[in-house]
Amino acid sequence: MLNVDLIEKMGNIVGTENISVASCELYCYSSDASQIRGMPEVVIKPRTTAQVSDIVRLAYEHNIPVTARGAGTGLSGGCVPLEGGIVLDMSGMNRIVEFDLDNLQVIVEPGIVQEKLNKALEPYGFFFPPDPGSSAMCTIGGLIANNGSGMRSVKYGTTRSYVLGLEIVMADGKIIKTGSKTMKTVAGYSLTDLFVGSEGTLGIITQAIIKVRALPKERSVIFASFKTPELAGKAVVKVLSSGIVPSACEILDSNIIRALNNYDPKLNLPQAGAILLFEVDGSEAEVKEGINLIVKACEDLASAIRTASDKKERDEIWAARRLAGAAISRLDPVRTRVYVGEDVGVPIKEIPKMLHKVDEISKEFDLPIMTYGHIGDGNLHTGMCIDMLSDEDWMKLNAAADKIHRTAIELGGTVTAEHGVGSARSEYMRLELGSALDVMITIKKALDPKGILNPGKMGV
Amino acid sequence: MEKDLRSILKCVRCGTCRSVCPVFEEAGWESASSRGRMLIALGIHNGLEVDENVLNSLNMCTTCGLCEQMCPSGASPVQVVQDTRRKLMLKGRMTDAQLVLRDETTSKGNPLGETQYRHSWLGDIADIKKHAPYVFFVGCLGSYRYPELTRRTFDLLKKFDVTLIPEEVCCGSPLLRTGSDPDSLVSKNMEQIKKIGAHTIITGCAGCYTTLKNDYPGDLKVIHVSEFLAERLPEMDLKHLDLKVTYHDPCHLGRCNGVFDAPRKIITSICELKEMKSHHEQSRCCGAGGGVLKGYPDLSMALSKKRLEEIPEGVDYLVTSCPLCRTNLQRGGPKVEVIDILDLLKMAMK
Ligand SMILES: Cc1cc2nc3c(=O)[nH]c(=O)nc-3n(C[C@H](O)[C@H](O)[C@H](O)COP(=O)(O)OP(=O)(O)OC[C@H]3O[C@@H](n4cnc5c(N)ncnc54)[C@H](O)[C@@H]3O)c2cc1C
Ligand code: SF4
Ligand code: SF4
Repeated sequence: MLNVDLIEKMGNIVGTENISVASCELYCYSSDASQIRGMPEVVIKPRTTAQVSDIVRLAYEHNIPVTARGAGTGLSGGCVPLEGGIVLDMSGMNRIVEFDLDNLQVIVEPGIVQEKLNKALEPYGFFFPPDPGSSAMCTIGGLIANNGSGMRSVKYGTTRSYVLGLEIVMADGKIIKTGSKTMKTVAGYSLTDLFVGSEGTLGIITQAIIKVRALPKERSVIFASFKTPELAGKAVVKVLSSGIVPSACEILDSNIIRALNNYDPKLNLPQAGAILLFEVDGSEAEVKEGINLIVKACEDLASAIRTASDKKERDEIWAARRLAGAAISRLDPVRTRVYVGEDVGVPIKEIPKMLHKVDEISKEFDLPIMTYGHIGDGNLHTGMCIDMLSDEDWMKLNAAADKIHRTAIELGGTVTAEHGVGSARSEYMRLELGSALDVMITIKKALDPKGILNPGKMGV
Repeated sequence: MEKDLRSILKCVRCGTCRSVCPVFEEAGWESASSRGRMLIALGIHNGLEVDENVLNSLNMCTTCGLCEQMCPSGASPVQVVQDTRRKLMLKGRMTDAQLVLRDETTSKGNPLGETQYRHSWLGDIADIKKHAPYVFFVGCLGSYRYPELTRRTFDLLKKFDVTLIPEEVCCGSPLLRTGSDPDSLVSKNMEQIKKIGAHTIITGCAGCYTTLKNDYPGDLKVIHVSEFLAERLPEMDLKHLDLKVTYHDPCHLGRCNGVFDAPRKIITSICELKEMKSHHEQSRCCGAGGGVLKGYPDLSMALSKKRLEEIPEGVDYLVTSCPLCRTNLQRGGPKVEVIDILDLLKMAMK
């Protein structure tokens, strides 16, 4: 395992200012936003692909676990080093290597933060569409590794749709490039797709060719209020089957509404049983038509419908919505939001049923469950707040989360639609994937025979 | 104990603060971010060994409050940092800078090591009235580093029935921010304020402002000199100046206490104001607060330079309303002169 000699060698590779074994530093790198914990033995901040390669090669030779980390905003323990070893903090590799906008792409290092990339693209009239709630802090590397998505995925899809190619450091330190700068290629297995969503278990991403889109000319946001979340769920099914593809379709239940009004009182959201937030983007005519269709589809079910008055109101509601999950901690001084069982996805038609089941689970365990999320693609976030000092609350929380996961699978859904498996959800992999998990294990063994890359994750 | 722990446990480790913490931006290590400090506070509770790195992490925070402003879950990282500094101080765990600040400030009544009479800037001691409705709390930097500005400010204020605290000592801010006990200073100032019978304290320093307002006993009415004067502009007969200036919101005045409008009211009644890149609640820190200028001068300088990059093109001055911000922004090598809002006022007085 790690000894002084090896640490010195690693220091020689990255420079002593980019390596730390200070106990408080290790402690800071022992968690993400989930409840998973694991202490690294060393934290390294590489600056170049060559450094990553040299470090991984050394780790390979000495059987040392290597866990990549972006901003540590993950909700599954993905970047938590369960078996110690090295944490590679990739957030310092954050350059935009090339703007190739004529080819609708940029080449970036993995540490660049989503929002910073979009700020850099905006003046050119482009954007990278996947917009998680954590866009102000999470890295593109983390998004690729988790195949993250966000509010606009109902129209624009997940991160996967925007990765044309990757540069990867493999478990033995070898550097490979997947994909290409072309908009399509069928040369060989789609290794790019394999690495997207592989959560750092198959290789370390050191560069990515990212496809970008032209910013839409217009955007408009509609707020539709409903008496119950289930009615809102029905409205979503109706809207989506009416042929319109909104650029966002989010649900907020009454507790989330209260939390957001508390976080930003300017929002002044109506205190309904649930609100659906729809966004439509495109040309002026497309937006107009989209709004009309949504209003028509919701009319019979909603208690009130209105459009955001201007860009400012729109920006404010999205900024607040992004942080809704954490904002529910504000509702009670002794309770804190715990991200467990928070990311299920179900087929769109099953949304009302899932919402109903969540309500039943909430009653069964006497635990308020707040629902919000990207309902337009069937992804529901179920937010639970507990007294962190109460063992009983922890028990209820874990039992409720387990039931939520199993219910989603029973409805033909998934335990994680975007946050990743990590170690928080690895126990459900067999149930959800069946024998496909064996294929994953075979791939993992082939690419990382010593099992040094992010061990203990994804059920592999 | 449980209250402290609950306050730490409010943090959901979402990392929102990490994306705005200016200290993290410089250092790049988790332990230098607000989330890192919250984790370390939890770690200490769980038995994490307190070493030099722990002390550095906690003491590198400028207490600018930007993390708290942005924190979705309603955690109070600044309070946690200050409380943890205090807890460790009580156990004798502190940096050299904390120790020097504590000893200098408690023994000399100011953190600057000065021993001469605090109101030496004052021409005529008779101007200190025994009783008055208003007290001008000068502050240490005002007394010792900006005596000329202080004299002019008081000349203006005394027309409005304002007096001074005869034996003023440091408000206690440097001690509070860095985990020491300010009680003896607080009592000394309070006793005199009571004797004067003042209902309102006026100060020109953001650090004094937040301390007097939020950490002194009772409910003293505290206002910034810009708030006092913004209400009296018509009485001051000001001329318009053909200048364009920008304004730095001191964290402890703006974000932490909501004083944004008064300084802007004064500025726009005199000349044109062009905002810095970040302003009001989102304003970047000058880098001096929380003991960082004293303890980590290089870091403090780097933070100052970052703030100075936010000066818009085509302005003649960078105006601020806190002598500590002014000092540190000046250290950073600004492309335009940094002045106090009272300096601008003086230029506009006929
Ligand atoms: C408030 C909040 C809201 C959120 N909202 C959303 C949302 O709407 N949608 C969503 O999808 N997620 C959301 N998330 C979860 C999280 O932000 C995403 O999973 C994000 O992609 C993680 O990025 P990160 O940079 O923080 O990665 P980390 O958490 O550091 O790591 C995540 C995974 O990526 C791997 N990894 C990181 N960098 C590399 C690399 N260079 N090479 C190989 N592997 C790597 C890690 O090993 C780990 O497995 C939210 C989180 C929070 C706290
Ligand atoms: S923003 Fe608040 S909740 Fe999020 S990591 Fe920082 S202190 Fe914790
Ligand atoms: S108060 Fe300022 S310096 Fe301190 S942790 Fe928060 S953002 Fe960083």
